Amino acid sequence: MDDNQIVNENAYPDDEYIYNETFIGEDGEEYYYEEPLISLFDVVKEYDKGMVKALNGINLDIFEGEFVSIIGPSGSGKSTLLNMLGALDKPTRGKIFIDGIDLVKEKDLSQFRQERIGFVFQLHNLIPNLSVFDNVQIPLLPTDMSNKEMKERASEIIRAVGLEDKKKQRPNKLSGGQRQRVAIARALVNNPSIILADEPTGSLDSKTGELILNLLMEMHERYNVTLIIVTHDNGVAALAERTIKIKDGKIIEDKYNY
Amino acid sequence: MSIIGIAIGITTIVALGLITTGMEDSVQTSLNDVGAEITVSNSSSVSTNTGLIDSSIVEEMKNRTGVIDAAGGLTVTEMNMDRLKSRDSDSSSLATTVVGLAPDKLYMMGINDVDGKIYENGTRDAIVGAEYAEVNNVSIGDDITLQGKEFNVTGIFETGSPFVDSGIYVPLDTLQDITDNDGVSRILVKTGEDVNDSAISDKIEEDYENFTTLTSEEISSIADDVLGILDTATLAVSALAIIVGGIGIINTMVMAVYERTKEIGVLKSVGWKSRKILTMILGETLVLTTLSGIVGSIFGILIPEVGLRLFNVTDFALGYSPKTFILAFGITIIVGIIGGIYPAYKASKLAPTEALRYE
Repeated sequence: MDDNQIVNENAYPDDEYIYNETFIGEDGEEYYYEEPLISLFDVVKEYDKGMVKALNGINLDIFEGEFVSIIGPSGSGKSTLLNMLGALDKPTRGKIFIDGIDLVKEKDLSQFRQERIGFVFQLHNLIPNLSVFDNVQIPLLPTDMSNKEMKERASEIIRAVGLEDKKKQRPNKLSGGQRQRVAIARALVNNPSIILADEPTGSLDSKTGELILNLLMEMHERYNVTLIIVTHDNGVAALAERTIKIKDGKIIEDKYNY
Repeated sequence: MSIIGIAIGITTIVALGLITTGMEDSVQTSLNDVGAEITVSNSSSVSTNTGLIDSSIVEEMKNRTGVIDAAGGLTVTEMNMDRLKSRDSDSSSLATTVVGLAPDKLYMMGINDVDGKIYENGTRDAIVGAEYAEVNNVSIGDDITLQGKEFNVTGIFETGSPFVDSGIYVPLDTLQDITDNDGVSRILVKTGEDVNDSAISDKIEEDYENFTTLTSEEISSIADDVLGILDTATLAVSALAIIVGGIGIINTMVMAVYERTKEIGVLKSVGWKSRKILTMILGETLVLTTLSGIVGSIFGILIPEVGLRLFNVTDFALGYSPKTFILAFGITIIVGIIGGIYPAYKASKLAPTEALRYE
């Protein structure tokens, strides 16, 4: 992490706030603001007509290429937060900007999801009656890629996650770890700039979980993808460059691990 | 599973369609008019057996303007006493209409083609309708008893009208002789072309106050009335079939698509637009309903056909008309699309997280 980068300091900027400008700090050194890739301003998510507050005023900046883990007990709102970041749901109040796109105002987020986001679900969410290859190819179908390009791209990514020999199999013939690798391949196939993984190792034994994490981290390093992992496992969280702790819908800690 | 569900709906529509069209067809042939344009009978008596017309009137009819030919016919009813006594469920006719008609006038009843030989005047020969022959197991050369006398069957005819085809025709003079009658029960009148049948028939009723006439136009208008009633009944049955079948199809489609809510959530989360999802569901619905349409049509034909054979129904045939199949396919596709698109639309409007939570 860059030493003179200011992260998450007074994260709620006023209108005149301009990123990527230098300023002189109190210590007399020159600093600059890097424009965050993801900015959340006072995000609130309520369920059951306000009876349940899953997120209760989240302010957060995440920068391009970061590897962030979000940790917290179950029901703390970490998955809800991840869904907001992936534009899978909209907040009740507050603002979310990703790469300049206002996710609250934007009506049709499908293109945004298609181009920017790769989502790895805890329960894989693979389509059972499609083969591994078809599952991986799904995010490419709405694009204007040719059939040949799509096939090449899907094959390439299946090779990268080491499932070349399982291409034609249905997900129910695969082990939990293999299914999760398919889910990762599907998340990566459209070259997203952000990978969001919701408990990617939650349903796996520790050895398989490690393999999956290594795979995600490798993708993060190789392609400079911003990687955000939700977990309740401190060991997994510690692998990330930055750990955000959530409790009762609020950020209670935000620290860099090294 | 979905194909079976939808196919049951189509089977209902097709099977009931075939049966109702068959009913219409059979009534239509029953009411087909015969050769003569005007039938004259005696109105002074209810029964045609007793209220006879003097034979001399036949000649008078023949000489009227616009009339080409006239023929007297004597009709008696032959009861099958054996059938009454035996109480067996044998299938022979209980009562048969026996018509005495001169051999050269048979064409007036629409009897043109006779398998075998037509009788001659004064003989104890008879020709029988194809339906009578089949029901009573009678063939050419057999003897039958009519009014207590033996007659030899010389021919079998088929006109297509069940009323005529279930009867027996014998020489008029023979029947008059046996029954001790001089008169005829009705006069068949053949009019020329380009003449007004109703004007002629009105004139006959005017000149002979005891006579009533029935023109073939009147018969066909009665037929139209009957068919009209039948049409309405058919429509009601079809509507019922469509509702029952349609509900089945819509239910199947709604369930099939609801089950895929989670899949729709996955597609949305990887960036599919709602429109693309709907197009996909629409395409699948078309394939599904077409396949089901074929399966359902096959069963819709098989079930009533097998049923008819199983219960040995011979005097009723299913009415095959393209209308039935077009209707069944049309309904299925429309209802299938409504049933498929509605839940798909709802699912595609859900936030992906909610759709994904669906189990």
